[in-house]
Amino acid sequence: MISLLDIAERSQKGRKMAEDSWNMSLFNKISELVKRYGIPNYTSDTSFLNLDDELTERVFHAGVDLLVEHGVYCITTGRIIELTRKEVLDAINESPSEIIVGGGKDARVMKQRKIEGKEPLNFCPGHHAPFTEELAPLVVKNFAQIPRTDFIEGFNFVEVDGREILGAPIEVYAARRQMSWMREGIRKAGRPGLSIVFYPITTRAEVLMAAMDPVDGLRRGDGILTSVLPDEKIEHDLLAAAIACEDYGLWRISGSFSMAGGFCGGADGAIIEGIAKPLTAVICYRVYVNYTGVENVRTVSAMTIPLQPLNWARSVVNQALNRHTNIICMEWVIPTAGPGTETNLLEVAVRSIEATINGANLYAPRHSRAQMNAGQTPLEGEFMVEVSDATLAAGIDRERGSEILVRLARQLKDKHPEPGMSIQECYDLVNHRPTPEYEKIHLKVKEQLASLGLAFT
Amino acid sequence: MLSLLDIAERMQRGPKMDENVWNMGLFQKMNELTERYQLFYPKDAPVFNLDWDIADRAFRAAIDFLVETGIYCASTSRVIQLSEDEVLSTIKGMPKEVTVGEGRDARVLKQRRLEEREQLNHCPGHHAPFTEELAPLVVKNFAQIPTADYLEGINFPEVDGREIFGMPLEVYAAKREATWMRQGVTKAGRPGLAIAYYPINTRASVLIAPIDREAGLRPSDGILLSVLPDVKVEQNLLTAAIVYEEYGGFKLNGNGGGRVGGFAGALGGALIEGIVAVLTGWIVYRDIACWGAISTGAGVDSTKELSLRTLDVWATSVWSQALHRHTNYILFMGAGGRSGPGCENHLLEVASKAVTIPINGANVHITRQSRARMNASQSPLDAEFAYEVATAVMRAGLTRDTASDLVLKIGEKLKGRVPEAPYHDIREFYDLVHHRPLPEFEKAYLKVKEEIASLGLSFE
Amino acid sequence: MANESEVRGAFDNLKDAILKYDVDAAKRAAQVIVDKGMEPMLAIKEAVAGATGILHERFDRGECFLPHLVMAGDAMMAAGEILESAVPKESIPAKKVVVIGTVEADLHAVGKNIVAMILRSGGFEVHDLGVDVKSSTFINRAKETKADIIALSCLMTTTRPYQREVLEDLESMGLRDSFKVIVGGGPITPEWAKEIGADGYGADALEGLATAKRLAGIEA
Repeated sequence: MISLLDIAERSQKGRKMAEDSWNMSLFNKISELVKRYGIPNYTSDTSFLNLDDELTERVFHAGVDLLVEHGVYCITTGRIIELTRKEVLDAINESPSEIIVGGGKDARVMKQRKIEGKEPLNFCPGHHAPFTEELAPLVVKNFAQIPRTDFIEGFNFVEVDGREILGAPIEVYAARRQMSWMREGIRKAGRPGLSIVFYPITTRAEVLMAAMDPVDGLRRGDGILTSVLPDEKIEHDLLAAAIACEDYGLWRISGSFSMAGGFCGGADGAIIEGIAKPLTAVICYRVYVNYTGVENVRTVSAMTIPLQPLNWARSVVNQALNRHTNIICMEWVIPTAGPGTETNLLEVAVRSIEATINGANLYAPRHSRAQMNAGQTPLEGEFMVEVSDATLAAGIDRERGSEILVRLARQLKDKHPEPGMSIQECYDLVNHRPTPEYEKIHLKVKEQLASLGLAFT
Repeated sequence: MLSLLDIAERMQRGPKMDENVWNMGLFQKMNELTERYQLFYPKDAPVFNLDWDIADRAFRAAIDFLVETGIYCASTSRVIQLSEDEVLSTIKGMPKEVTVGEGRDARVLKQRRLEEREQLNHCPGHHAPFTEELAPLVVKNFAQIPTADYLEGINFPEVDGREIFGMPLEVYAAKREATWMRQGVTKAGRPGLAIAYYPINTRASVLIAPIDREAGLRPSDGILLSVLPDVKVEQNLLTAAIVYEEYGGFKLNGNGGGRVGGFAGALGGALIEGIVAVLTGWIVYRDIACWGAISTGAGVDSTKELSLRTLDVWATSVWSQALHRHTNYILFMGAGGRSGPGCENHLLEVASKAVTIPINGANVHITRQSRARMNASQSPLDAEFAYEVATAVMRAGLTRDTASDLVLKIGEKLKGRVPEAPYHDIREFYDLVHHRPLPEFEKAYLKVKEEIASLGLSFE
Repeated sequence: MANESEVRGAFDNLKDAILKYDVDAAKRAAQVIVDKGMEPMLAIKEAVAGATGILHERFDRGECFLPHLVMAGDAMMAAGEILESAVPKESIPAKKVVVIGTVEADLHAVGKNIVAMILRSGGFEVHDLGVDVKSSTFINRAKETKADIIALSCLMTTTRPYQREVLEDLESMGLRDSFKVIVGGGPITPEWAKEIGADGYGADALEGLATAKRLAGIEA
C-alpha cells in the first residue's frame, strides 16, 4: 500500500490548484460519474434500504474512478495528490477487515459486517459531545458501564482547571486532561483496558499528538479521530498526526460520510463521494474504521429531520463498502432532536435499524447541535444497541426493514426537532439509569417498535 | 510561583504591542538600566570579573527589566507582564540539581559553585547536522565518551531518502531522530543515557512528536526549548513545554546569553539580556539548564583572524557570577571555535574557551564548529579535549585571579592564526568504527595538549 | 422605449438564465435589457434578486446544491457587470462587503461555505478566507477590503473563544465600530453571540443572510 510519506510528498509537490477551482471541478467530475454509471435519482417510491445489488457494484467503481481520475486535495498546500488505479485497488485489498482495539480483558475486535448479517454489531455509545470538566469522569464511567461498549470517544469542553481553553499551550494541556479523564472514567467502570479515542480539542497537530502517553493518556490500543474533510480534502495537521500515530501504534477513525447538497451535488453524487471518502481515509491517514454513509449539509442546523433520500443513499454506500472493500463501517447517529425526547429515540431507532441491516456498526448517538452537557446520555446508546439486537433477533431483512422505516418516517416527517434536556435533567449518573420520565419515553418507543416487528428480549 | 498555564493565559491576553515597538523599547530600557546600575567595563580591564558587586547589580537590573518591561510573545504580539513578587518567587523554584537519564546511566546535572573543585557535567555532542546513514554510529561514538552525562540530538535534511519538507515529514523525521539517538546510546552500552531532543524545527507538533517511552523520548530525556533573542518567547515552544512538564522531560535553554549589537544595545544591555534570557527560560518554559555566554563581537566571520576577546571573557564571567550568586541555575558553556574540528587551530580555540568554563562555575557543553557543516562540525576527541582542559583547570584549583594569566597565554598562541576547516567529513579525521582519531588528528591533539601543559596546566 | 410586457419578458429571461446557471444566456439577456433602454438597476432588483430568492428556497429544499449557487453566482456577476456598465458609476450602490472564515484551529468548512455562497448570491461581495483563520488575518483583510461585516464560523465548542478573540482585538485596536460582526456554527447560540458582543447571529445560512442584510442596512 502506498506509504503515508508518499502522500506527504505528493501533498508537497503535486499540481497546484485554487480551492474554489477544486470544488467546482469535483462537482463536474462527480456529475460526469453519475451519468457514466447511471446512478439513479431518488424518487418518492425508492425504498429506504437499497435492494439493488448491482447498483452497489456501479457506485463502487464510480468511487474508485473519482479517486483515480480526480485525486485528493490538500488544503494546506493547495495541491492535488494524484493516485493510480493500482494504488487505490491495493489500498482496498490490503486493508484489514478487522482490527483489535483496547487491551487485556477489555480488548475488542472491530469487524466489518455483512449486509443482513446475523452477528451483533460493534458499538461506541458516546461521546463526540461537550461536557464540563466536573462531570467528565462520571459521564465517561457511565458510558463505559454499558457492557456492549467496544470503545468510547473523547469529548469537548471549554474550561480546564477553571481556565478557559484558548491558545495552543492550554489546548495541549486540555488534550492530556481529556485522555486522563477518559482513563479514569473507564477504570472507575472496571474496564481499564477499554479503548479510548481522542476527540480533537482543536485540530492542530500538536493537540492531536499531545496525549500519547501510556501511563495516563493514549496507549497503543487506543485511537484518535483524523477525519477526511468534505469534498475529498485532507490537511497537513491531520496527516502529520496520522504519521505519528502510525509510528506510535494508535488506530484511527475518520468521519468519512459525504454531505449531500455540498460540492458533491445531490444524493446521487453524495453516494459516489461516500465511497471515495473512506478510501481516501485509508490511503491518506491509514484509517480502517470509518463513519460512513451520507448526511446533508443542513443536518447540523437541525431545523428539520433529514430522511429520504439520505436513508437510501446511506444504504447504498454502506452496502457497496461492505461488498467491495474491507472497510469497517460505522453509522453515526446524529439525531436532530435533543436527548430526553421521544423524537430523539425515534431518530436513533431509524438509524439503528438501517445500520444493522446495511452492515454498519453503531456509533455514538449525539444531538446534531449538541450543547454543553446536553448532547447525549447513555440511554440513547443502550437503546441503539437494543434496537439493533432486536432487529437481528427478528431476522428483519431489507424489504421488511424498509417497510418499518417508512412507518417510522411518517411519524418524524415535518416534525420540528425539540432541543431536549441536559444529561443531569434526564439521567441519573450516580445510579446509572434514566429518570423515570425518560424511562417512560424509552419504554413507549420500545413498545412501538415491538409492535412493528422488532424482537426485544 | 507562576504556573505555565498562567504564562499561557498572559500570552493570550497580555497587552498588545507591535514587535518593532518592543524592539526599540528594549533598546531604550537597556540603556536606562545600564545607567541606573552602572554596568560598564572597569578601567583596569580584568580578564575575569573580580568585583562581585557589579554581578549583583547586573542581576538587579535583570529583575527590574522583567518587572518594568516584561517578556514579549512573538506569536501573539503580546507582552507577558510580571510582578516583582512573581519573578522572585518563581526564580526561587529553580532546582539546583536535576537527575537525567535512567537506571545505571542516570546522571545528576548540578549547579557548580564558582571556583570550587567539583566534577563538571558534560554534554559532548551534537546540535549539529549529520546525514541519516551516519547518525546512529555518530551517536554511539559520543555516547562512548565516559564523561557524557547526556547527548543532544542531531539535525538532518533527509529521512528514509526523502527530503524533509512539510509538517508531515518533519513529524516523521522528529520521531526518527529520537529513535536513532536511542539506538546510538544503546549500541554504546548506555541505554539509559539521557538524550535531549534537538528540534527539526520549532513547530509544536514537531517538538512533541518524538515522545514515546519505548522508542523515543522517555520522561528521563529532554528537549531544547530556547528563549529567542531580544527577550522573546513563542507559543509553539510553550505548548511543548506544557506537554513535557507533565510528561517528565527536562528542558534546556540554548540561548542563555546576550550579544552586543542587537536590540539590547551595548555591553550593559547584553549583560542584562543574558541574565534575563536565563530567567525567562525558567519562568516561561521551565528550562532547568542553559548554555550561553556574552558576545561582544559581531558574527562568526571565518575570514577574520582568531583572537581572544577578553571583553567577552569578562562579560561572561559577570553573567555567570550574577546567576550563581542569585539563582540555582545550572549553567553550561560551549567550547567550540570558528575552525573546523580535527585540527590544531580548533583545539587551541577549544582550549581557550574550556579554561574559562570551571572559573565561571559552568559545565562543559557541546564542542562544535560555530558555523556547523554537514558531517563535519564536531568529533568525540574535540569534545573530550574540552573536558580534559576544563577538568585540569578545576583540579588545579585555579581562580579568577590565577586563571587570567593562562587565558592570556593561550590567547597569545591564537594570535596570527586564521580559522581553518581542513576536513569535509568526520570520517576523514576520525575512525567511527574503532572510536579513535586518525593519526594526523591524534598528532595535532597531542601537540596542542603539550603546548597547553607547557603553559603550566597539568593534565595528570 | 420598451413596453411593460417586453420589460417583463426581458427580466424573466434574465431570471431564467440565472436559474439555469447559464452565464452566456445571462449575459445576452442583460445586453438586451441595456440595448432596449430598460432600467438596469430595476433589472438587478427584480430579476437578479428574484432569482436569488428562488435559489435559496431550492437550496433549502435540497433541490439545488452548493455548486449551483456558485454557478448562479457566476451568471449573476456576469449579468451584473453588463447592467452596471449602463449606469453612471455614482448611482450604483456599492456592494456591501463581507469577510468570512472559520476561526483559528478549526477546520470545519461546510457551513461556512454555504453561508458564503448564500451571501454572495444575496448581493454581497464576499471574501472567503477559508479555515483555521487567525484573528489578525480576519482583521487585516477586513481593513484591506473596507469590509462592512466580518462573519465568523466555528463548529467546535473549544474553538468558539476565537470568535471572541476577534472582537477583543477589534476593540483593542480601536476598530470595533468599523465593522459589524456576525457569528454562527454548530455550538453557537444567540446567548453566546450576546455574551461576546457580536452584532448578529445566524442559526443557519438564510438567517445569516437576513441578519447580514439588516446589519448592512439593506432591504431584506
